[in-house]
Amino acid sequence: MDKSLQVMVMYLLTHIGLIFFMYPTDIIEVVDVGHWSAILLGFALHVALMGIFLKGLGYFAPRNLIDIFLGVGKVFSIILLLPVTLYFLMTIIIDIRAYSEIVTLVFLAKTPLWVTMVLLLSVPAFISALGVETLFRSGVLVAILFFPFLLLIFCLSFQNADWRYIFPLMDKQAASLSYVVSRPYLLSLFAFTGGFMFLGFIPPYITYKRRKVMWASALLLPFFLISVYVPILTFGQSTASRFQFPFITAVDTVNISWLMFDRVTLFLLLSLVCFAMLFISLIMWKTTLLIRRGFPSIRPVTTTMLLSLAIFIVCLYIPDWKTVERLLWWNTYLRLYVMIVIPFITLFLGIRHHRKGAACP
Amino acid sequence: MKLLDRLQERQKLDADLFIHRMFLTQQPVMLAGYKSLIDLPHTLMLLQQQAQNAIAAERPLFALGSGIGDCISPTEELKVIEAMSEGNLIILSESSDLCIKIVPISRTLSRAIEAPTTENVIRGSVSAFNEDLDTNIGLIKKHVHSEKLRTQSYRFEKGQRRQAILLYMEGQTNPSFLNALKRRIESNLGNNIPNLQALNKLLGFPVWTLISRFNTTELPENAAYALEKGKVVLFLDRFPFAIILPSMITDMFAVANDRNFPLFFMITMRLLRTIGVLANMLMPGLYVALVSVNPDVLRIELALSIASSRVGVPYPAIVETLLLLLVLELILEASIRLPKTIGPTITMVGGIILGQAVVNAKLVSNILIIILAATTIASFTVVGFHNSIFIRISKYLILILSALYGVLGLFAGVVVVCVYLASVNTFGIPYLYQPKARENSDG
Repeated sequence: MDKSLQVMVMYLLTHIGLIFFMYPTDIIEVVDVGHWSAILLGFALHVALMGIFLKGLGYFAPRNLIDIFLGVGKVFSIILLLPVTLYFLMTIIIDIRAYSEIVTLVFLAKTPLWVTMVLLLSVPAFISALGVETLFRSGVLVAILFFPFLLLIFCLSFQNADWRYIFPLMDKQAASLSYVVSRPYLLSLFAFTGGFMFLGFIPPYITYKRRKVMWASALLLPFFLISVYVPILTFGQSTASRFQFPFITAVDTVNISWLMFDRVTLFLLLSLVCFAMLFISLIMWKTTLLIRRGFPSIRPVTTTMLLSLAIFIVCLYIPDWKTVERLLWWNTYLRLYVMIVIPFITLFLGIRHHRKGAACP
Repeated sequence: MKLLDRLQERQKLDADLFIHRMFLTQQPVMLAGYKSLIDLPHTLMLLQQQAQNAIAAERPLFALGSGIGDCISPTEELKVIEAMSEGNLIILSESSDLCIKIVPISRTLSRAIEAPTTENVIRGSVSAFNEDLDTNIGLIKKHVHSEKLRTQSYRFEKGQRRQAILLYMEGQTNPSFLNALKRRIESNLGNNIPNLQALNKLLGFPVWTLISRFNTTELPENAAYALEKGKVVLFLDRFPFAIILPSMITDMFAVANDRNFPLFFMITMRLLRTIGVLANMLMPGLYVALVSVNPDVLRIELALSIASSRVGVPYPAIVETLLLLLVLELILEASIRLPKTIGPTITMVGGIILGQAVVNAKLVSNILIIILAATTIASFTVVGFHNSIFIRISKYLILILSALYGVLGLFAGVVVVCVYLASVNTFGIPYLYQPKARENSDG
């Protein structure tokens, strides 16, 4: 059965859950003017890489990435997939640590950090233990419940916008694209790459149409633009660059007289945290899939539980936000590998497979 | 005569077993059966009439071809007893060793077709299923005029020997689901189904589940609609409702009867039910989260008024909420048990007197009373009592998470509930499945 809708929704949710926290900070830091060029460049990169990846996968449908690599050779797949597993593990750790820090910072000041981490870890562990079909179905349900909310807040977030801040549109630095190799720009790429790898893991459990997912990526562009431009339009570049989470602060300024709540931020933040939980459970599921390929004797539930325990212990050893940022930077190398090497190798293998198929049908 | 002696022996144990001697076409015969199941005078009249017909047609009454009934070998005593306890009449001829089972005129042991007792209909057909299997199937057949309707009968052998009828529309039902269901039933015919829990076990659904994998309805209209939608309807002997498989989330919000209203009304009614479900699950949790963990989210005026209403309440919001929720659940449970005449009194005592007193005594805040009253009302906007149970229970999960984590717990609770709903499936058909792959706003 075609489950493109579920895949599209999940694709959107996982990305939306990621982009509104650190992404605007990085982009505002990268350039002073012409943020759109940085966003569009990243987005184009994302679409191109996803296209390559999906094209490569299309040659092997309905096999998944692990099967494709295992088809070439065991050593080959271990060498290629080990960094991917490591990347997933680090992403889970960083995400859980970062989100619990944000949650504590914004509204659970009295709750100890580890208690929040327990929640943020146990819910994804529960979801991933129930399996990928459940995960995708609940994605749709969560989207139906939270999305109207979120769209409302996005509309309201323009309340204090001063559209003059949109200018100047361009300057020399933005035009030269010299920022591409700068540290914050490379960091910002996490928002683009975290998500689309799951497309390679879900078949044959969940099948989808390639074209529909590509269309879903187009829906994502407005969210990237909103995340950066709302704080800029509200505060201006020089003020916005001083905040840790500019978008959240910008939404905090919104005042709605007819609402019984004083801080809409909370609901925005929590919807995003819920999306992030789905994202974490998706990565967790992928990781357990990879681990179980290596050690097929362990039961799936045991794998998930051991994995979450290990992640929890590692999370406890991360003392502060500085360490999180450092981890995020270390993870950039792995990320660059995952986002560039894996799609190209998949495409390469796909074309080879296709040719072989054509040569000896 | 061996069988007759045995029956006479049995008569001493079964007070309602009768053995009646009479002449049919000048042959002496013995009639045996249960008085409590057979309308004897009418049956005798029927037999006499058949005998006279046989004389007029000049053929022996007990000739096999005459079609008066089925022959049973007199040596098979167990079969004879079984036939009698099913309500059949046994004729034993004295002259020859013949034993015939015939369908007599039975006593009326079922109620007439009445209005439903647990589901109200405002605009639609009012007749409801009753305990009699054949009546129920007849009602369905009146509602579904289709040659595609298939009726399959199963007999569960152990203990009570209950009959079950499976109805479905040929070509409408998902074949893999139907086959899985049939296989499951056929391989478990040796079991007994005294209640729906046993049915749940027989069909292999998990015991510890919060969502019933089958939906039940008293209304033939709903059952017919379900059949047309490709679902399967199961009837069990002496259960006055249809069991519809698989159950889906839309069953919580939609009934066939909605379609008797204009489309706009239908949509708003369903939206209202959705809001009711959400309100019921979220409101207690939201109250606790806002009062005890995140008061800063509220507008300052509102936060102050809530705080001032809680002045003098000696314990945390979660205890307060749980206490009052417990009272409300008690009222709900009690009003099911109570006779209809006392029901309104209890509502009054529970609702007004208890509510007012509890606020005056400073045991809970009056805002909580408003919230919980709304919550309780909202919990019954959902279609079907069995569906409301899931919502009532999931409310507590969200409540506890909210007490621990505030609004974050509320949201996490919603996610967990969503995930739980998504994980449920019936023979491979997910609970959140949309038959037409169409987006539905039902949450």
